Amino acid sequence: MPKLIGQPMPRAEDARLVAGKGQYTDDVSLPGQVYAAFLRSSRPHAVIRGMDLEAARSAPGVIAVLTGQDYLDGGHQGMDHVPNPADAIAHEQRAFNDSLTGHVFNQRHIPLPIDKVRHVGEAVVMVVAETQREARDAAELVDVDYDPLPAVVDADKGMLPDAPQLWDNLPSNLCFQVQIGNPEDIARIFAGAHHVVRREFRNSRIVNCQMEPRSALGSYDPESGYLLISGSQGVTRQQLCIADALKVPRTQVRVISPDVGGGFGPRSMVNPEQLAVLWASKRVGRPIKWTSDRNEAFLSDYQGRDQVARAAMALSADGRILAVDHELIGNVGAHTVSYVPLSNGSRVMTTVYHVPAAAAKLSAVMTNSAPTGPYRGAGRPESTHVMERMLDIAARELGIDRVEIRRRNLIQPGQMPYRSPMGLNYDSGAFAANMERALTVSEWDAAEARRAAARARGRWLGIGVANYVESPVGAPKERIELTVEPDGRVDLVAGTQTTGQGHATTFAQVLADKLGVPFEAISLRTGDSAFVSVGGGTHSDRSMRLVGTLIVQAVSSLVDLGKPVAATLLDTTEGQVSFIDGEYVDATSQRKVGLADVARRIAESGLPDAEGAAADTHRFRVVAEFNGRIPAHPTGAAVCELEVDPDTGEVELTRYTSIDDVGTPINPLIVEGQVHGGLAQGIGQALYEGFQVDPESGQVLSGSYMDYGVARAGALPPLRIELTEDPTSGNPLGVKGGGESGITPATAAIFNALADALREVTTDELPMPATAASIWEAIHQGDRV
Amino acid sequence: MMQVHVTINGESVSRDVDDRTLLVEFIRKDLGLTGTHVGCDTSQCGACTVHLDGVAVKSCSVLAAQASGGDVVTIEGLAPSPDALGPVQEAFVACHGLQCGFCTPGMIMAVDHYLTVDGRLDDASICHGLEGNICRCTGYVNIIEAVKHAAAARQGGPHA
Repeated sequence: MPKLIGQPMPRAEDARLVAGKGQYTDDVSLPGQVYAAFLRSSRPHAVIRGMDLEAARSAPGVIAVLTGQDYLDGGHQGMDHVPNPADAIAHEQRAFNDSLTGHVFNQRHIPLPIDKVRHVGEAVVMVVAETQREARDAAELVDVDYDPLPAVVDADKGMLPDAPQLWDNLPSNLCFQVQIGNPEDIARIFAGAHHVVRREFRNSRIVNCQMEPRSALGSYDPESGYLLISGSQGVTRQQLCIADALKVPRTQVRVISPDVGGGFGPRSMVNPEQLAVLWASKRVGRPIKWTSDRNEAFLSDYQGRDQVARAAMALSADGRILAVDHELIGNVGAHTVSYVPLSNGSRVMTTVYHVPAAAAKLSAVMTNSAPTGPYRGAGRPESTHVMERMLDIAARELGIDRVEIRRRNLIQPGQMPYRSPMGLNYDSGAFAANMERALTVSEWDAAEARRAAARARGRWLGIGVANYVESPVGAPKERIELTVEPDGRVDLVAGTQTTGQGHATTFAQVLADKLGVPFEAISLRTGDSAFVSVGGGTHSDRSMRLVGTLIVQAVSSLVDLGKPVAATLLDTTEGQVSFIDGEYVDATSQRKVGLADVARRIAESGLPDAEGAAADTHRFRVVAEFNGRIPAHPTGAAVCELEVDPDTGEVELTRYTSIDDVGTPINPLIVEGQVHGGLAQGIGQALYEGFQVDPESGQVLSGSYMDYGVARAGALPPLRIELTEDPTSGNPLGVKGGGESGITPATAAIFNALADALREVTTDELPMPATAASIWEAIHQGDRV
Repeated sequence: MMQVHVTINGESVSRDVDDRTLLVEFIRKDLGLTGTHVGCDTSQCGACTVHLDGVAVKSCSVLAAQASGGDVVTIEGLAPSPDALGPVQEAFVACHGLQCGFCTPGMIMAVDHYLTVDGRLDDASICHGLEGNICRCTGYVNIIEAVKHAAAARQGGPHA
């Protein structure tokens, strides 16, 4: 049977999606459903003195107008997002423990605030009406009496002693402050170093912009409890968080995530509106649907990045890194939703380079802005950007070639396995070879000739290289159930949730190979807590790494489980039976029985060793579960080449090379698609995206696709992508992960290329995004001197 | 309220709707054709693209009343038969031109129209043709491939 692992198969799920038969949340309706709309805060920070709800309550079609006090009066509590994730190394520990502030802040998140509003766009009042239009119209009639407070939207300013304070129980706005490494040792190294580079890098705030706006359909039934239909990155986490907030057993909450129109991180956590439709549904006795419009999305979706890095690198005269010291300041926003970006970013801080000593001081700061959470890469692109920019700056200041300084500092094959100063263990990865390959494919050595040719056309060419490594972490818990049905169909249940990654195809490729059954016989079921009992969802490159590993384990268990039954069917002993290409074979007679034969026998007669008559003893079914870490470190290198028009500041990416080691690529077509998509998001952040807020008023200036730039088709450069393989030994498939591969080095490679293009006019760090206007400013600032 | 009459995917329908009803709401809610999606409110993203009288339009920026009397084709009406896909749909599958699939129906409707009225197949022209549609997953590279693939298929086979 031809092997499917490694084949670039078109996706099994696509025929349905291209025909318009996808089922995204807003496509689903329940009988008798009504609609919700939310009045959102127009203020970044204000005391709620009172609300006039009467006009809304008497508006046409209105069924209920509800506040946060109504929610609390119902005996419910705020959501616990568990912002402090498990440690990257020890999954049973939280990532952050010994905060210099004495504790790690974790404030429960009430879906509608009681006392104050804390960011523009925060949902304040919920209106339920017969139609969506009536709900929206009535929400406009709610009058909230605000007593405005000073606001702070910048994390740096939020740390100042006189900064406006968001939460009474957090006097400093500092959720935690953690020192990693020994600052005194580091200070000694810096004092004795030949050269020190110090820079500040501001990684811009990003709006997730998943194409399917958030949507939630909630209903309540006295017998079965709450039902939420809503896109997410995994139903288990949603179910547990909602059950906790509503103070009901988890069995009283069912979460279904049907087709999900993009994830990228923020859909991992529960949003206020998802909880609100459930609570309100019980209250009004009808199913309630809410669907965000895009303006709401820009104001209220959990956002990404927004980190300041004050970085220092100590070097020897020959450009060897002696130590790095970072101060990372993460903007948490108005609610404690996630500390994942700081956790990931600090762990991977030294990336692929041999750094003998490192320290980091991390601060998580609350501000009057939408909460932030993990957004694609979550800390790794930020840290990669800092490391790669610092190396280019160090090279320039020391008079060393940019590539040469990297060659001198890359972790070499002889140093593997390598333990980084931040505690990560790299078991594989040809870091130096990946960079060399990227240089070759990009024709790096001929760039000077292309630069001269561009100059003759009046354009300034820049080229930049960036190396990266990731630290896949994510929820350290997963489970699959594998069942062979009597008709030969194979049913796989997993706790992951595709948001476009094609799990039904790739999981089936692995299972078909390992079990020896046809690809078409396999169906994947996910996204319903009625049958998904355990699972961590899809993020952090975890899905194939964990589910793939569990498939290998489950196949082995399943084969063993069926062996005595097959022996009976073959009229032989178990010792004579082997399993080859999906069939049990008797070594003596060479007679064979298939998995379906065994499944039928089990359905009829039960498992031979099973006791009692429980239903499962009549099913050919195994469960595999994992708790812990399956470490793996995807790695690679990128080279970006671009041209700047000095008259306008416009940037054109002219070629882009991406060398990515994702371990074993199960489906290269899908992996390359992930690289493309990650790169598009990286280009977006580097050149166009960047959530804008007026620093004085706290008002949002990026409220739609008309004033927030995302990459469109013309933004993508000609791409040269190569997958290299240095499979990890950490899991039986050798999978590392591909979801973050395109994005992790992208802003670093682009900014290095931009700095190269502009090297004659400025050595300042360009703001992110580097818009045409800001590049024009950088070019023409010299004109005014 | 007013009565809207359209031909939708070859079928003639009439419905009484609120005056404010957008064509996309009419298609999704009144007619139950949920393949047409809403991704923004500013006609920027193109997820709601349908054909109205043979022209690709963003159905969030047309009132249902304006479409009355017109001939509307949605993603559900693009395939030649219930068990086959149209060439653009086939091309998106073959070239991995989608990931989450949410922007895809609008993208396909835009591409189908582009190949009908323009159809230049250099990258710059295709990118210009796709300027009104946003995808957040695939990075466009494979969508551009799908446009070329579909153009070849429309001319009589994938290798034509």
